[in-house]
Amino acid sequence: MDLYRLGSVSWQESQLIYHALPRLGLEGLVLLRPASPYVCIGYHQDAAEDVDLAACRAGGIPVFRREVGGGAVYLDGGQVFYQLVLSRANPLVQGSKESIYRRLLAPVVAVYRSLGLDATYRPVNDIMVGGRKISGNGAGEIAESVVLVGNLIVDFDYDAMVRVLRVPDEKFRDKVHKSLRENLTTLRRELPTVPPYEGLESRLVHHFAEVLGPLTPRPLPEAVRREAERLAVERTSDDWLLRRSRRSPVQRVRISASAQVIRRVHKAPGGLIRATYEVRDGRLASVDLSGDLFFYPPDGLDALAAALVGTPCAQAEAAIAAFYARHGIESPGVTPADLAALLAG
Amino acid sequence: MKIGPYDFPDDLYYDREHNWARVDGEAVTQGLTSFGQAIAGEILYAEEPRVGREVKQGEAFMALESGKWVGRVRAMVSGRIVAANGRLEADSALINKDPYGAGWLARITLANPEELKQLLRPSDPAFAAFIAAERSKYGK
Repeated sequence: MDLYRLGSVSWQESQLIYHALPRLGLEGLVLLRPASPYVCIGYHQDAAEDVDLAACRAGGIPVFRREVGGGAVYLDGGQVFYQLVLSRANPLVQGSKESIYRRLLAPVVAVYRSLGLDATYRPVNDIMVGGRKISGNGAGEIAESVVLVGNLIVDFDYDAMVRVLRVPDEKFRDKVHKSLRENLTTLRRELPTVPPYEGLESRLVHHFAEVLGPLTPRPLPEAVRREAERLAVERTSDDWLLRRSRRSPVQRVRISASAQVIRRVHKAPGGLIRATYEVRDGRLASVDLSGDLFFYPPDGLDALAAALVGTPCAQAEAAIAAFYARHGIESPGVTPADLAALLAG
Repeated sequence: MKIGPYDFPDDLYYDREHNWARVDGEAVTQGLTSFGQAIAGEILYAEEPRVGREVKQGEAFMALESGKWVGRVRAMVSGRIVAANGRLEADSALINKDPYGAGWLARITLANPEELKQLLRPSDPAFAAFIAAERSKYGK
C-alpha cells in the first residue's frame, strides 16, 4: 500500500488530501500534521450552533467541515494525524464498525505501548491510557472508500478548545474544560520526554505495516494535489461550512465515548428548569441544577445536585424521589420526573 | 419472512446494502431494513437528500451517522428523488424504531423497471443465504 509521509502541511491539506484520495479511487496511508491551528467539525454538525464562529474569526482560526462523523475539535501541530483510505471492498473494512475500528486502531494502540504506556482500545473509537482518551478517531465512507482518520495526541490546547466552542453559559464552558482535563490526556502529560514527531511517525509506519502489509513511501501524486485544490474551493466555502444541519434542543460536548458534558432545559408546569452535568460511563459525574422555580428548602436544589453524583442516569428519577421523601422537598409544578427528564443523558 | 429476530416483509425488494424498496406505481420508497438498522446501531443523524436530484442505481445520495461513523445510503433504483422523509432530521431514531414505516428514507421515481431484477426478494433462495452470511459477518 502507498504511504504518504507529508510532514507539516497547511491546515487545508491536512483535511483535503484524505477527501481527495477516495475520489480518485486510491488507497493509502497518509501521515501529516497541520502547520497552523483550526477547528474541524463533524459532517452532521451545525457550525453556527456548535462553534463560536465569531471567536474563531477574531482569533484567525479557520473552521472546516469534514465528511467524517463525530464532534468539533481544535486541531494544531501538537497532533500527528494518520489518515487511512481503503476501498470498500478491502477485506480490512468488512464486518461491524467496532470490529473495523478495533482492527485498524490496533497499530495505534501498539505505538502507545511501544512508548511504555498501558494503552487499550475502548469501543467504539477510543484509545485509553489510565482511563483517559489519548487519541481521537472517526470514520466514514467517502465515494467508494472507507476512511479512518485519527491522531496521536502529543499536546492539546485545552484552553483553546473550550474557547472555540459555542456554549450557553460560562458554567457549561467550565464543566467542559474540567471534563476535558480529566478525560483526555496527551503524550506530553504521560511521558517524561516525548519522542520527536518523525520518531512517532516511524512507529506508526512500523505498526500499520503489520496490519496493512508492506507500505511503500511515495510523493503525493500530482492528481491528488489537483483534486485537493479542486475540493478546496467548495469545501472551504461558507455554503459548505454553514449548511443547515439538525439543531438539537440539547447542548452536548462529547469528550470521549464514555464522557460527555450536557446542558438541557425543560419546561415544567412550575417553571423553566435547567441542568448542566457531566456523564461518565452512564453515571452522573457532576450536576448543576437551576431554574425559575420554587424549591423548598431553598438550599435543597444544590443539595439534590450533590446527592445525585454517582447515580446512573437511568435511575435518576428514583434517586430524586427518594431525596424528596427524605428531606421533605416541596417544588410546586416541578416533579422528580421533570428533574429526571433533564438528566436523561 | 422472519430470519432470527429480523423481519423482511415479503412484498419488498432488498439490496446487499441492507436497504428495502417498496414499489408503488412509478416510484419506489426506500429505507433501511431491520437488520440494517441493527448493525448501524443508534442512528444519530440522517442527512435529508435533495428532492429533484437524479440518481443512478448504487449511487450514494444521503448519509447516516451512527457510532462515530458516517455511512452512505445508495439508491436502489435509478431515477429522480421526489420525496425525502422530513421527520428524520428532528428524529433520526425513527429509522431504528420503525424501519419499514415512519423511518423510511426517500422516494425515487422508477426510471428503469428492469433494474428491479438486480434486487433480491425474500422468496429468492439466495436471500436467506445472504442474510445468514451477513449475520455471521456482523455477529448479529
